[in-house]
Amino acid sequence: MATREDIYANKIFLNAVLPLVKTIIASNEKYAKKFKNKNGIVGVSAKDPDGKVGTHYIIENGDFTVVKGPNDKCDVELEFSSIKDLNDFFAGKSKKLPKIKGWYHVGLLTATLSVLMYMANLLGVTEPPQNDDEKDLVVKLYFSLLSTGISQLNKTGHPEVSKWVKKSPDRIFAWKVTGKPELSSYIRIKAGKSKAARGEYKRSKPFFTMRFDSTDSALGTLLGIDDMIEATITEKLIMEGAPEFGAQLGEYMLLVGSYAKGN
Amino acid sequence: MGGLTYTMLDTTNLSTAEMYGNVLCELGKEHPEIVGLSADLAKSTKIGLFAEKFPNKFFNTGIAEQNMFGIASGMAKCGLVPFVSTFAIFTSMRALDQVHTDICYQNLNVKMIATHAGLSFGQAGTTHHCTEDIAIMRSMANLKVIVPADGMETANAVVQAYETEGPVYIRINRGFDQKVYENTDYDFRIGKAHQLTDGNDLTIIACGSCVYQAIEAAKILSSVDGIKARVLNMHTIKPIDREAVLKAVYETRRIITVEDHNVMGGLGSAVAEVIIESGKGCAFRKLGIPDTFSIIGLHEDLMAYYEIDTNGIVENVRKLIGLEFEEDEDWEDEV
Amino acid sequence: MPLTDIEIKNLEKKAHELRSLCVDTVVWAGSGHIGGSLSAMDILTILYYKYLNIDPSKPLWEDRDRFILSKGHIGVGFAPVLADKGYIDKEQLKEYNHTGSELGMHLDSNKVPGVDASTGSLGHGLPIAVGMALAARINNKNYKTYCLLGDGECDEGSVWEAAMSIAHYKITNLVTIVDRNRCMIDGPTENVMSLEPFAKKWEAFGFIVKEVDGHNFTELSEAIEYALAEDKAPVVIIANTIKGCGIDFMEDNYKWHYGGLNSEKIAQSKESLEKYYKKRVKGA
Repeated sequence: MATREDIYANKIFLNAVLPLVKTIIASNEKYAKKFKNKNGIVGVSAKDPDGKVGTHYIIENGDFTVVKGPNDKCDVELEFSSIKDLNDFFAGKSKKLPKIKGWYHVGLLTATLSVLMYMANLLGVTEPPQNDDEKDLVVKLYFSLLSTGISQLNKTGHPEVSKWVKKSPDRIFAWKVTGKPELSSYIRIKAGKSKAARGEYKRSKPFFTMRFDSTDSALGTLLGIDDMIEATITEKLIMEGAPEFGAQLGEYMLLVGSYAKGN
Repeated sequence: MGGLTYTMLDTTNLSTAEMYGNVLCELGKEHPEIVGLSADLAKSTKIGLFAEKFPNKFFNTGIAEQNMFGIASGMAKCGLVPFVSTFAIFTSMRALDQVHTDICYQNLNVKMIATHAGLSFGQAGTTHHCTEDIAIMRSMANLKVIVPADGMETANAVVQAYETEGPVYIRINRGFDQKVYENTDYDFRIGKAHQLTDGNDLTIIACGSCVYQAIEAAKILSSVDGIKARVLNMHTIKPIDREAVLKAVYETRRIITVEDHNVMGGLGSAVAEVIIESGKGCAFRKLGIPDTFSIIGLHEDLMAYYEIDTNGIVENVRKLIGLEFEEDEDWEDEV
Repeated sequence: MPLTDIEIKNLEKKAHELRSLCVDTVVWAGSGHIGGSLSAMDILTILYYKYLNIDPSKPLWEDRDRFILSKGHIGVGFAPVLADKGYIDKEQLKEYNHTGSELGMHLDSNKVPGVDASTGSLGHGLPIAVGMALAARINNKNYKTYCLLGDGECDEGSVWEAAMSIAHYKITNLVTIVDRNRCMIDGPTENVMSLEPFAKKWEAFGFIVKEVDGHNFTELSEAIEYALAEDKAPVVIIANTIKGCGIDFMEDNYKWHYGGLNSEKIAQSKESLEKYYKKRVKGA
């Protein structure tokens, strides 16, 4: 039986982590090629007494669409026997493989597994990658993961996060790296509702922006290498908006991170 | 229910009118071309201080406002700089033909100090209130319209009015104003709004006696509701600081204006014009006297009654923040 | 000092020229306030050709005498005077009232040199003149201020506010002249809003009143010189005039407060003015 904590973690994996595959394919030629000309539905799911949960990808001639929820018409499906198993696997805590349905769609299966592995590696780096493109990609993945993760925690009713969102007037919190708008993400919260999105919020100036002066600085904080206070003092990290909100946001980012790491 | 919130000892310190009288005396010392005029209101408008110091430079026209503004025009034509004081209602209505034709049309260097503006002469009732003057004066070409927030700002306004060519209309109260500025050493510039607090949730744009109320409201909103309000002191209604308004539109997307004036045609309307022309979405609300003639009462009580005091602003901000104006149906996270 | 014969002769000739030029201007403008222009022309002539201390090449000369045409609607009568004196080019009169022209029904002090105040809204001129007269006092200047009002204009309260302040401040460097042609738009003044006893009203306000024939240069001259010399009390000159004087079909006819002239009427006007001029000089 999944606990509340399991469910929070699960939502993060299903709705914040797994969709990152699309970002990888959009940014990386090598992985995009693997799906070229392929068609099919690939799903990742977990069985649960309250109903199966999952996320699936619809691939049409190499075009990738992420859809929340399981799909019983999957060509390939990685089906975990419980929510906890899915969580532990993606957190890297367990090596227990899921049941692989449709293993005979070899092309689709190998492509999916390889991109999932790559994603796991990227998210799991402890130091900044050497390659500049990869640095950008990691930052982009993290920003997406954190913004969506916080939103998912709110939607799932995590007590602290949902209390904060409930009290809030219409506000935008954004993450960005100076000079690289393509890496940005943001979350909009208003009286209990939340929505995470990619890119820059254009309608007005966000209420609060966590801005890094370079991808290196961003990685320093995101990977836990730099202390956030140090980073602020050295201006690697610039809080645009009242600092109390920066601290608050930082806490929720750590929260998402801890679920993703299986803590 | 409002009421007096400061002691009698404070009043001489505070007043816009007192400052005006003093500053004019200072200016008069250095600039002999300054003359003063009043229509039997020298004592009430405090230009009497100038009259005492420079008796041969002060002219009382008796209760004859049209004559007074005509005389001021003739004097300005001959190189003098007249400061003309009477109640706002008489400047903006009784003598409006003269203000319009003799002063604004001829673009003369006449400085009109209109006192007892808004509902500040509360107990005197509508015959002495003036909740239309900003609307009226705003529509006069060549005229600058300034509404100082407190005594210090009045001093700055009077000095800069003297230094600015052309007609100027300065609107002040009868004398009992709360302090907003400690002294005159802040960045006061005609045509530039002065930002008093920062925040990105909404902007409160106020003028005159409502500026103090806005600041207090912002404090409450921050500590109680966690709402961060930007407060702009829009002391110059014409020319209005379009940049500051547009910045507020873009950065906070919610604007509430507060003025001791009718909601028709005053500060609120001036700000609304800028917002609409920008083409950007912005939630907006005007606080002011709701197109009615006022009841009588003490100024503070009237401000509370018409919701242009601290509590009125707080309540209306809370309502504004709850307004929907952006597509709100899709709350799904992007994948 | 009484006018000499030569002076009178020259003034008569000048007034005639100006009346004629005024008719021309009304034609170029399409229409105009001709009645009141003609009734005031002798007053304007004697002021501009005898008494005003002015210099057309220096319209803003600080020490100049000021002249406020409080009955500002007679721009078509005033502009010819300014043109003849050299403040503006006579050619400009041809553009009178045309779109974008500097000359319109009511002359703009910011656009027309020689115009000391932008009048047109009645009742404004006298207060402005008071301001100028007081400024002379403050600035220690000797210039005189003259103000010409219409009689209908004296319905306006602001005229009497100014009158009160003139008496109160003992403003004697200001000469007030009223063009009493006894006509206004809706009829004779005494039918619309009676002014009589007009002279007594001014006296009650503290003025010394000089009633003169507004078409007699000798009488006008005496009154003006009296006013200039008098320094104990302010003086008002009530000049009894005939609206539309000089043009027979307009004389004393309130309907010619404002009008246009077709070619027939133009010819009639010019003929009438000639006749009138001859009558004036014969009588002089």
